[in-house]
Amino acid sequence: MAALDIEHVRKVFGGKTEVLKDINISIDDGEFLILVGPSGCGKSTLLNSIAGLEDITDGVIRIGGQDVSRKSPKDRDIAMVFQSYALYPSMNVRQNISFGLEIRKIPKEEINTEVDRVAKLLQIEHLLDRKPSQLSGGQRQRVAMGRALARKPAIYLFDEPLSNLDAKLRVEMRTEIKKLHQNLGTTIVYVTHDQIEAMTLADRIAVMKDGILQQFGSPQEIYDEPNNIFVAGFMGSPSMNFVPTPVQKEGGMLVAKLTTLEGTTFSLPLGDRGNVLGKYEGKQVILGVRPERISNVSADGNPEDSIVLKSKAGVVEPTGPDTLVHMNLNGIEVNCRVDPDYKVKTGDPLEVIMDLSKAVFFDKDTEARIV
Amino acid sequence: MVNTHMAQRDWRYYLNRGIIHFILLFAVLFYLLPLIVMVFTSFKTMDDIRAGNLISLPTEWVVDAWVKAWSSACTGVKCEGVEGYFWNSVAIVVPAVLISTAIGALNGYVLTKWRFRGSEIFFGFLLFGCFIPFQVVLLPMAQTLGWLGLANTTAGLVMVHVVYGMAFTTLFFRNFYVNIPDELVKAAHLDGAGFFTIFWRILLPISGPIIVVTIIWQTTQIWNDFLFGVVYGSGETQPITVALNNLVNTSTGVKEYNVHMAAAIIAGLPTLLVYVLAGKYFVRGLTAGSVKG
Ligand SMILES: Nc1ncnc2c1ncn2[C@@H]1O[C@H](COP(=O)(O)OP(=O)(O)OP(=O)(O)O)[C@@H](O)[C@H]1O
Ligand SMILES: [Mg+2]
Repeated sequence: MAALDIEHVRKVFGGKTEVLKDINISIDDGEFLILVGPSGCGKSTLLNSIAGLEDITDGVIRIGGQDVSRKSPKDRDIAMVFQSYALYPSMNVRQNISFGLEIRKIPKEEINTEVDRVAKLLQIEHLLDRKPSQLSGGQRQRVAMGRALARKPAIYLFDEPLSNLDAKLRVEMRTEIKKLHQNLGTTIVYVTHDQIEAMTLADRIAVMKDGILQQFGSPQEIYDEPNNIFVAGFMGSPSMNFVPTPVQKEGGMLVAKLTTLEGTTFSLPLGDRGNVLGKYEGKQVILGVRPERISNVSADGNPEDSIVLKSKAGVVEPTGPDTLVHMNLNGIEVNCRVDPDYKVKTGDPLEVIMDLSKAVFFDKDTEARIV
Repeated sequence: MVNTHMAQRDWRYYLNRGIIHFILLFAVLFYLLPLIVMVFTSFKTMDDIRAGNLISLPTEWVVDAWVKAWSSACTGVKCEGVEGYFWNSVAIVVPAVLISTAIGALNGYVLTKWRFRGSEIFFGFLLFGCFIPFQVVLLPMAQTLGWLGLANTTAGLVMVHVVYGMAFTTLFFRNFYVNIPDELVKAAHLDGAGFFTIFWRILLPISGPIIVVTIIWQTTQIWNDFLFGVVYGSGETQPITVALNNLVNTSTGVKEYNVHMAAAIIAGLPTLLVYVLAGKYFVRGLTAGSVKG
């Protein structure tokens, strides 16, 4: 019973800085919502608003169907991990974790069991008697997590809770959080800058920019059907390739033209998309195609939707599991992701297959996705 | 070549050091001289004072002057020493310091962590209080004390010092708390803590340095106050500073310098003591805001 509805929420600081602009997000009970967006786009402000730590200027926030917009933070039944950890400096780790339980008058033994459980989960048992000032950044972050996890609230709010951990611990904690979510089934709102965290943890992703919600949907929707160039470029690493392409009619069919550095021209058949792109005939659109869709091996998509491109290899960057090769199309450096066994050096002839089944097209002016 | 150069530097180095130390020593002596004169004189007999010069050691160390200053010197018409007035001062200083510090802490807490519409302006006006000269408030305050029925009482003097000191204590605590991250308070909110729990459990335990600063400042200010004491206190409730003045100005017969000096040292001792005991925290507290953890 803790679905979260954010309806037409606005937040204006000091009468002029509008930090949240008409945000609409709605998730079901037990869903895992990830908030992503560039620094300063209003993610923390949105979390604070959900928690009731900031008053919203306009709109309604509902938790479990109930309007909590004017309720005080402690009556919203929320636990939060702050971006800055916010550990109580005068208390040791054990006291930090137990403070909230104590205030809520939980019996002593129960508190102790709970602290021990959480400490074990987060691997901080040996730190329980230390003060926050005697901890490393990553340790503090785990204590901050512990303070939230010790409670069983209606909603957890996590503001970049893993950002300071080393790679290994981060992966471990990510798995723990996923497990935790599966076991407890508590609704979670989670801010992160990490693509993999976002894709692996989320039921829903909300992408924000400058206080405006750019897109809200499942991870796959966000990845495959981005609303606009910003979302397409923000999710996925390395980023999607954006190639300005002229649209023309060729043999009664609508095609997009790609020209390599050597001057060879290729025609991409637009197929069904032609219906929608018809009105762009003779104009330019932006073709969006992810690097993994330009490869030496054929992705097992519809062969009709693929096209072989021949050119010269630019910069070659081996990453281990695969190799990134640059290629110039319509004057733009395009990233291709090829098999590491496909030996190619800068300047070598390059032959790759572009899979167009997942390619998207954007309007050049509005940057919104056309199809 | 190199060696002589080094030797030269050593020689100059020691000369510089010597000069600096000499100047410092001179400064120390210069500042300590009055205290030395006072201490020596207070342990002399009157004959000794007449015979010797100011900075000579007492020929015979006697505590008669101290005893007389404490219990039988004349301060105006009464001749009971400064003892009673000393305790008057204590009775004014202790509650006034504690109350004004507590109010300052609460004010600072509200002004930084529970901001309300116009709280900055409120703080601005409060700051004004730091710059209002004593003389300006003398008459209105006398009137107010009269209305409250607190004229010539210890409680009245305590109130005056609390009101006047509030501006300073609020300033101290406000500037300290403004450097404490707001997230601490937010986190405590979510943990379910209320206004006073957050103050008591989260902020107060980390306020040590600023509490010490405030207490030293207020103790010194209030203990050394003369003007409020002489205006709002009457015979029974006057603080020691007023008594000291009366003692020195009571001109029947000879001026007993040794008694005067002893009384003056007694009057100054508590502030000296507070500073010696807590001085290092004072310095630490003044810089505490810049090194938040
Ligand atoms: N109290 C405030 N008064 C005025 N502006 C504020 C206030 N708090 C935040 N802002 C502004 O609101 C915007 C959003 O801030 P917020 O902290 O929500 O960003 P964020 O998305 O969490 O960024 P990051 O990823 O860096 O944590 C920023 O431009 C910030 O300067
Ligand atoms: Mg943030």
